Order: sequence, then C-alpha cells, then structure tokens
Amino acid sequence: MSKVIDFLKNEWNSYPRNIQISLYVLFALVALFVIFAIQILFWGLGYTDMNNRFAMGIWIIGDLGFVALGGGAFFTGFMLYIFRVDKLQPLINSTVLIGFMCYLFTFILLVFDIGQPLRAWFGYAYPNWGPHTMPQSMLTEVVWCLTFYFIVLCIELFPIILSNKYLDRYPAVHYFAHYLHKLMWIFAAIGTFLSFFHQGSLGGGMWGVLYAKPYWFRHHYFYLAIVAAIAGGPCLMMLAPKIASWVAKKELVPKDAYMTLAQIAGVTFIAYFLFRVYDLYTLAKHFAPLFDRNLVDMMGGYYGWWVVGLELLASLVAIVILNVKKFRENEQYFIAGLISGVLAIVMLKVDVLLHGFSIPNFPWQDFFGYNPTIQEWFIFLGSLACMTLIYMWFVKYIPLFPEKHHEEAH
Amino acid sequence: MTRRWGMVIDLDKCTGCGACNIACAQENNLPIFKDDSDVPKRVTFLDLIEVTNDKDPKAQYPDVKVAYIPKMCQQCSGNDPNNPHPPCVSVCPVVATDVGEDGVVSQIWSRCIGCRYCQVACPYEARVFHWWKPRYEGSFKESLNPDVSIASRGTMVKCTFCSHIWKRERDKAIAQGITDINAVTYTPACASACPTNAILFGDLNDPSSPVYEPKIQKDPRAVRLVHSIDELRTKDPSEYEKRTKIKEYPNPKVYYLTSQQWLRDKISGFKNS
Repeated sequence: MSKVIDFLKNEWNSYPRNIQISLYVLFALVALFVIFAIQILFWGLGYTDMNNRFAMGIWIIGDLGFVALGGGAFFTGFMLYIFRVDKLQPLINSTVLIGFMCYLFTFILLVFDIGQPLRAWFGYAYPNWGPHTMPQSMLTEVVWCLTFYFIVLCIELFPIILSNKYLDRYPAVHYFAHYLHKLMWIFAAIGTFLSFFHQGSLGGGMWGVLYAKPYWFRHHYFYLAIVAAIAGGPCLMMLAPKIASWVAKKELVPKDAYMTLAQIAGVTFIAYFLFRVYDLYTLAKHFAPLFDRNLVDMMGGYYGWWVVGLELLASLVAIVILNVKKFRENEQYFIAGLISGVLAIVMLKVDVLLHGFSIPNFPWQDFFGYNPTIQEWFIFLGSLACMTLIYMWFVKYIPLFPEKHHEEAH
Repeated sequence: MTRRWGMVIDLDKCTGCGACNIACAQENNLPIFKDDSDVPKRVTFLDLIEVTNDKDPKAQYPDVKVAYIPKMCQQCSGNDPNNPHPPCVSVCPVVATDVGEDGVVSQIWSRCIGCRYCQVACPYEARVFHWWKPRYEGSFKESLNPDVSIASRGTMVKCTFCSHIWKRERDKAIAQGITDINAVTYTPACASACPTNAILFGDLNDPSSPVYEPKIQKDPRAVRLVHSIDELRTKDPSEYEKRTKIKEYPNPKVYYLTSQQWLRDKISGFKNS
C-alpha cells in the first residue's frame, strides 16, 4: 500500500505546477459530477430546468454534439483503412479514443436524461420495430445503432490499450493486438456503415420525422446530420492532439497528417455549408409554409438568428482556413480554423434543440427560455472533465501517438 | 360499428370555471403538490388556458375579450383516420404508447422509460412528465381512483379520454351478457363535470352522436387547435391535396366551437392570429 502511495506521490510531484492546477480543477468537476449524479438519479429530473415545454436540455445538446464530433472517428478510420490515406495513421489512435469517449458519455448523459434509468434496457427488450424491417422509432434506431457502433469502437480501442509497454511484453498479448490491428479495416467498414445510420438518425432523422413540429420537420435533415458529422468530426480529431501537443510542449503528430485531414475536412465543410444554406432556404420556402408558419417569425426569441448566424460564420471561417494553404499552414490560423469547425457543429446542435424547443406552439405564447440548473451544468461539465482526464491518461501511459513513441524509443 | 371517440367543446358556453380540470385530476389520480405554481412542471391532463385579444392593435378597451380553452390530448389520427398515425406514437422507442381502434392514444406508464421523445413530437403540449415523485397531500390519498394506476416518477402520462371508464361500462355490459365491446358508450370525467354542458363527447362516426364528425365539420363555428390546413379543405382543395401528400397533419379528434372570429383565428393557428 505504501508503495502505491509513494508511486502516486512521485507521479504527482513529477507534474509541472500548471498541470497540477488543471488536474485540481478537473478532479473538482468530476467530484461535483458524482454528487449531482447521485441527486439526479435518486431524486429525479425535477432538479433540472427542463419542463413540459422544454423537454430536453443541455444533456441532449451534449449528446448530439458528442455523437456528431465523435463521428470524426468513423470518418478518419474510413479514410485510412478503406481509402488507404496512410498519412492519417499517426492520428488514428487518438481519433478512436475520442470517438470511444464521445459515445461512452453520450450513453452516460442519456441515462441521466431519461426519467427511468433502471428501465434503459427496455430499449433492447421492447424495441419499437414496427411492422417493417426498419425500426419505426428513430430513437430505437439510435439506441441499437449507437450500441453496435460503441462495440465496434471498443474493439478498435482494444489493440491500442494492449500496446501499452507493460502489456506488450507478453507475446500472446502482442500477437493478439497485432492481428486484431490487421483486421481493423473490417471494423472500420462496419463502423462507417453503422455511423451513417445513427449520425443521420440522432442528429437529423429524430427531428426531421416530427411532422407536427414546424421548425424540425424536413425530409433531408437525416442527410444534413451525416454531412455535419463528416465536416465537424475531423476538426475535433485534430484539435485534441493539437491541444495535447501544446500541453506537452512538443509536436505529437506530424504536420503532414494534420494537413491531409484538414484538406479533407475543408472540402467537406464546403459541402456542409452549401447543404445548410439549402436547408434554411427550403425551411423558409417549403417546409415552414406547410404549417402556415413564417421562418422569420420562428427565428425570433432568445436563440434565433444569432445562433444560426454564428454557426454559418464559424463554418465560413473553417472553410477559408482549412482550404487555403497559406492559412492552413499557419499554426494560429489552423487552430482557429479547427475551433471554428467544432463551434459550427455545436451551434447547429444548439439551434436544433435550444431554439427548436423555444419556439411557441400556440399563437398566444411567447418564445420560451431555458436556463440549466447547477445540476445540469456540472453533470455536463463533469463529463467533459472525465473525458479530458481519460485522454490525458492515455497520452501518458498508452502509445496514443505511435510516431512520438517511435521517436522516443530511438 | 367500431367506435371513434371524439370531443366537441363549445367555447361560447365555457365560463372557465375549471370544474373539468379538477374532475380530470381527481379521476386520473393526478398528484397534488404543496406548491403547484410551477406551471411548466405541473402534472395536468386538461389545461385551462386563458387567451385574450389584448395584443390585437384593433382591440381597444373595453373591447378586449377573454376566453378559456380547455386543452387536453387532441387524440390525433394523422391524415388517414382509418390507419391512424398520431405524431407521438411512432416515435416511442419502447412501444409505451399506442393508438387503439377507437382512435384513443394510450400510454402505458409502466412501460415508459421517460425519454420524453413523445412529448417533443406532440404539437399540443398535451403530454406531461412526472418530474417529481407523485405525492398526494393529506386525505387525497384516500380518494384515489382504483381504476387508474399511479405513474412513477420519471414517466410520461397523458389524457386517454378516460378510457378506463369505457372499460368499466363494458365490464358492466358483459355482466349483463352483452359481449360487443362497441355496444356501450361513456362520458369522460371532464364532460360529466362541465356545468354548462360545453364539453360534448361521443362517437365521431355515429350519426346519432352529438359529435357526429360530418355534421361538426359543416358547422361554421367549428375550428381545430393549430390546424389551419382545415381552411384549405373547402377553400382550395387542390392545395389541401398537395400538402397532405407531402406530409401528415395531426388531424385531431377534438373540435372547438366559437362564434367569435378573433378566437377562431387564434385557435386555428399562426396564419390569422
């Protein structure tokens, strides 16, 4: 026991002061996460600012954001293993880990969000499969598809964990991890297949099928969410190692890898931007009039135009920076481009949920507001803190960036 | 004959007394909290909404008018009433809600996982969630209705047109040897309690019923909640046809009657309000 305490003490003292302060903050957030999690799970959702008008809040915004941004994992894997863009190899481990964490915390936040967490298994036991082969409820598809893809991510993460230098000493572990890695293209293909469904269903389809809701009903919403994930996901996949490099004060991923993925993300962001403009145009001209509603009237309230405006502006910044070589190769601009890319997708989700719920259903109502309680904030921020801690732990103990470990070995 | 239950609420007769709301809460074992002033989190199947025309620039004092709208689940059927597709039913991931042959949208509390997706899908804010554990202050616990199960915290509940009363009436009929489930009719608690007879309930398909749908649809006072497409049915049938091919409409089974134009405009939707 004393050895463990000594090890932990030495480990802690080996960290620079700024890392220690960051860890204090992260641990505090995790502690608050645990406290409020107990409160919500045992005493219910009455402690949130959600209500019968504003049925979903910050946790579902987080879920949609996590899944869309975690979508970078399937897309990067697809480009690497299926399209053989080998320059992305240095990014793949980190990408798989971020994808895994995004999906893990999507499940965790979903468990908090449902009123009966102990009945969460009903989604598997009594799915709303409907009369046809495809699920009738988009949420049934989300539950099943997310689960399958999460299993794929676990399998993809497994060889990365096994490549830890202590585990890798055992030949059986080494060869198992090696051959599992060789089969990774199969899982990348399965992951892509599954991701196309749940990215579309959770991000778009779930909202697009609500035929009685004027701000959500759109036939193409399913596809918009897929394009959004393909555009925004890679930005997070580049931003996380960039921040890790900044903290570690050394470049963890070769520039080539960043530039290759940035070019791909830049092109997909153009597609996303055009699709989103088309989406807003059809909403104004085609879908809102079906309800005798006016888009301009619906865009009022607390989260109307500024959210969409910020989203489009962030998309444009990402497009310019990621597509223009001069900007892309400049470190500061590049990071600004990545942040803009992530922000654009987050704002899309904020628009879907926060603004979607604030729109009045009856002519005598005004726009609604939503102000998350401390329970909601700390469970959300605590999730982000847990993800950050897991990522930091992996950077330190698992060869998340093979190039860096390779260089260090020599 | 298969029943298709519906409701007609005459707003010209409604005084806003709230008896329907109380009767509904009592009949359906709705919880009573010490402080029910937190309206957005309150558990109520029938909401009594006060609307005025005070935002209308033409309405100057003393012409400002007030009306009360009893709003419950509108028991939507979608475009095809013979193959009902309410907005809230198909979205449920665990089949906790369904629509019966009688057109009533049911909810099984004990199956519900509390995801609230049905609440998101409902355009009428008719579904309510148990944000807190249901409590019954004082002696209210002794007056609970044994025909209605109490929902747990974290589940969705809704108006079912008091379909348990129909079951009770059917059980009585079966005891008398009548096995046709459509042989009997019933009256939900809100309609029974209304002192001015403003709420009428019955079978929309039955010509002898006070809510016979073809007759109600011809009534110039009839209007449905946020359902402005109804206007097109007579004014522009081709546009109506076109729109209903593009998307489903809720097609609720609750009709409101009023002779006041401002109220009709307000109820029908955003187009004229």
